[in-house]
Amino acid sequence: MKWNDLKAHADDLAQRHLAELFQDDAQRFQRLHRKVGPLLLDLSKQRLNGDTLDRLTALADASDLRGWIDRMFAGEPINCTENRAAMHWALRAPEDSSVATPAVLAAVHGELARMARIVDKLHAGQWRGFTGEVITDVVNIGVGGSDLGPLMVSRALEDFAAPTPQGLQVHFVSSMDGSQVAHLLRQLRPQTTLFIISSKSFTTVDTLYNAETARTWMQRALGEDEAVVRCHFLAVSSAQEKVAAWGIAEENRLQLWDWVGGRYSLWSAIGLPAALRIGMDRFRELLAGAHFMDEHFRTAAWQDNLPVLMALVGVWNTNLLNIHGHAILPYDGRLKYLPSYLEQLEMESNGKSVTRDGDPVTTRTCPILWGDVGPNAQHAFYQLLHQGTEPVTCDFIAPALRYHEDVHTDAARELVRQHELALANCLAQSRLLALGEAALPEGEQMPFYKRYRGNQPSTTLMMDELTPYSLGAMLAAYEHKVFAQAVMWQINPFDQWGVEMGKKIATDTLAALRDGEAVSMDASTEGLLAFIRKPNT
Amino acid sequence: MHLDVYGDTLCALVTATAMASSGHHVVLRSPGGGRFAEAVQAGLSLYREPGLERLLQEQLAEGRLRWGALDEAPDADVRAIFLAFEPEHEPQARDVLVHLASHVAPGLVVINQSAFPVGTTEELQMLFPTGTVVCLPEFLQEGAAVQSFVRPARLLLGCDNAEAEVLVREVFRPFNRLSDHFLVMRPREAEFSKLAITGMLATRVSFMNDMANLADTLNVDIEQVRKGVGSDPRIGEAYLYPGCGFGGPGLSRDVLSLADTLQSQGISSELLAQVMAINERQKEVMFRKLWAHYGRDLNGKVIAIWGAAFKPGSGRIDNAPILRLLEALWAQGAVARVHDPEALPALAARYGEREDLVLCQQPYRAVEGADALMLVTEWKAYWSPDFARLQQLMRAPVLLDGRNIYDPAFVKASGFAYYGVGRQI
Repeated sequence: MKWNDLKAHADDLAQRHLAELFQDDAQRFQRLHRKVGPLLLDLSKQRLNGDTLDRLTALADASDLRGWIDRMFAGEPINCTENRAAMHWALRAPEDSSVATPAVLAAVHGELARMARIVDKLHAGQWRGFTGEVITDVVNIGVGGSDLGPLMVSRALEDFAAPTPQGLQVHFVSSMDGSQVAHLLRQLRPQTTLFIISSKSFTTVDTLYNAETARTWMQRALGEDEAVVRCHFLAVSSAQEKVAAWGIAEENRLQLWDWVGGRYSLWSAIGLPAALRIGMDRFRELLAGAHFMDEHFRTAAWQDNLPVLMALVGVWNTNLLNIHGHAILPYDGRLKYLPSYLEQLEMESNGKSVTRDGDPVTTRTCPILWGDVGPNAQHAFYQLLHQGTEPVTCDFIAPALRYHEDVHTDAARELVRQHELALANCLAQSRLLALGEAALPEGEQMPFYKRYRGNQPSTTLMMDELTPYSLGAMLAAYEHKVFAQAVMWQINPFDQWGVEMGKKIATDTLAALRDGEAVSMDASTEGLLAFIRKPNT
Repeated sequence: MHLDVYGDTLCALVTATAMASSGHHVVLRSPGGGRFAEAVQAGLSLYREPGLERLLQEQLAEGRLRWGALDEAPDADVRAIFLAFEPEHEPQARDVLVHLASHVAPGLVVINQSAFPVGTTEELQMLFPTGTVVCLPEFLQEGAAVQSFVRPARLLLGCDNAEAEVLVREVFRPFNRLSDHFLVMRPREAEFSKLAITGMLATRVSFMNDMANLADTLNVDIEQVRKGVGSDPRIGEAYLYPGCGFGGPGLSRDVLSLADTLQSQGISSELLAQVMAINERQKEVMFRKLWAHYGRDLNGKVIAIWGAAFKPGSGRIDNAPILRLLEALWAQGAVARVHDPEALPALAARYGEREDLVLCQQPYRAVEGADALMLVTEWKAYWSPDFARLQQLMRAPVLLDGRNIYDPAFVKASGFAYYGVGRQI
């Protein structure tokens, strides 16, 4: 492998401060940024140089990245522990494309057409509840991939919300403890509310409990007639027989397939809430943006390949510079849920320590990700980024243009000024993180507690503007980045066995909690159970 | 007297013909080449109103009425000009005033009948400094338009110029004989009064519809309640009929216009917003009853509809309840078979050819093979149907009475499932 070669190169570079790298090379931005479609990726604030990229692409080759990409797009069962293909890219392939088989494309586009019928009926104000009233509120019940993706996209594209005669609202319920659903049900009318139960396996207890609460609420108001569930419940799942058993009418079932992972599923019928927010045409633009990125990832040379470059830089930071914290910092409030979405995408995919061959990994894998809307995080955890002891890498994400859409005509000028302010902060923060005191006027002698050491690397990912297309392209870029990293770490990014066992143990614990049986567990759990049973003694 | 009437509305046509019939010489002006202009010159009325077309033909023949182009200057002997535009044609009205200001002798009186926002008459006055602009809101009842013009219950005149008032009274003298119907106030007060009257009527209707829906859930017959409420002299009997919603270019337009007026001032009338919301909901009341009757599945059902016009006597379907009903039925995969004595052409023009809309020239043709009959507009010819024949022709005997014109007990005894608006059997 090429790791040793890279290690020597890293040791060289480790001595050099980012400020120095910028000083030495006036062409640094020219060399280290790439423009692809609506996106601009700036790697010049990473602690590397052009030479590094050459060496890293050699690592990609040595890891057979080309072969793995081909295998993924050929639909081979690269999810080896579950013996499944990973074909989320097929969800956004055009109907006439040749990347996927005709059978897969027919299934995907058939399901999109079913989605379109549902969206159109709701948007026309013609989806009727049990009493014949028009549905005004749709509640998505789902968790994880069935929640974060559609929620993030709905919020990100709120400026593209489709107008409807009844002012259709879309809500999201995910939390297991019922706090969201209880809050929401107080505000909604059963007669005008439609629920989407979204669960790939249709066994997720969080979702099924919330759905049961919703059904009981509905039936308490409208009675037990079978038409109550038919008029007020839809389901999206790959387990059609379980959906049928729950009582969902056939015309209200949407499906996805076992070759789509939950955290890669927002492009399927799981995206229905997002499609309800923005309309089917916009949803198809989102798919088109992602498809554009699929083609780019599949065909572009490593040096120009956005997802591959993002992956290589991640590997560089994690494995060569030993940086294990990664912050996602969108400078646009509409991307509020992007950090949570990427936390799941990256950490659930690459939070692994066993190789595809079943051996313990010899390198570190996924770093710890977290994040928030940048300007808000500036008042929270940026202190640690600037003056803490932990090295952290950051992704700064922002659209260049904003607020020129029709919806903003009234306050456009003021809002454009706010967007300019956010952009200025985005650039200033990444600059200060990189350069440290070198970014400040010269000759100012500071006390220690006021000093900025700098040298915190970051990537800036800009879009021309935040549209369905550019968002689709960006999200697909992150998906493929995660895949490319998994290839270099030799792990399977498409399973998630680490989240299974907890669910199982919870079932036993629930029995202990409800029945009060004395089950033999660890001393801590037994002590806590005792407190829960009698909190006031 | 020589008068010009500007506009292509029902009000313009009625004003022009009625004024001509009382001896005035009238030029009716509308955009050249339009459907309205061609119809007027051919002696045809685009508005189906009792007596209107005959009156138009008479006055054209007598030579007291003729059509003229909008952009032509009026004859020198014209003393007063009526403006009767659609509310959305306010810019046209402004152009007319600007044009007149430089082309007519001083002293001309402009009588604005259009439902423009409150304050428009005063704005028009600024454009026309050489004459006077007054406001005389129209109170035509569609279906009896000519009659309500020649026998006005009131003439709300918004005018603050004494000479102009004398001239307007002279113009209307033939229609103001029995007693003085003029009520004179400032122009913006007249404009607002017109909107407030419509708003009040709409409020009464929506209130009764709200009561009818409550009555449905409480097993109370709204018909008895309506009589009881109407017997209170402080309330009176008019506009208390529950039903499947009001429509028409006038009623809902004026309520909306009032709501807009208030809203553009940064205040909004919560009451009127509710009045309109209740009415829109009410337009689907028959659909909801049908939906429940057929187990929330109307796919493939055939629904007969009697009446499409927003009210009997009119051929217009603007904002009429049938529009929402049709769209609701179609979205569920049902087929509609519609009869209306006047409004079928308007429906055909709006929806064109489609498989799930069958326009029937005879009421009994519409019910053939129907799974339900909905009565939407209470044309007199629908009041006493041959129930035996309906039974025979329909696939299922279900009658939804959107205007509460039938006797529930009798309909039920005739073998029908009956649904009214707040009616109990």
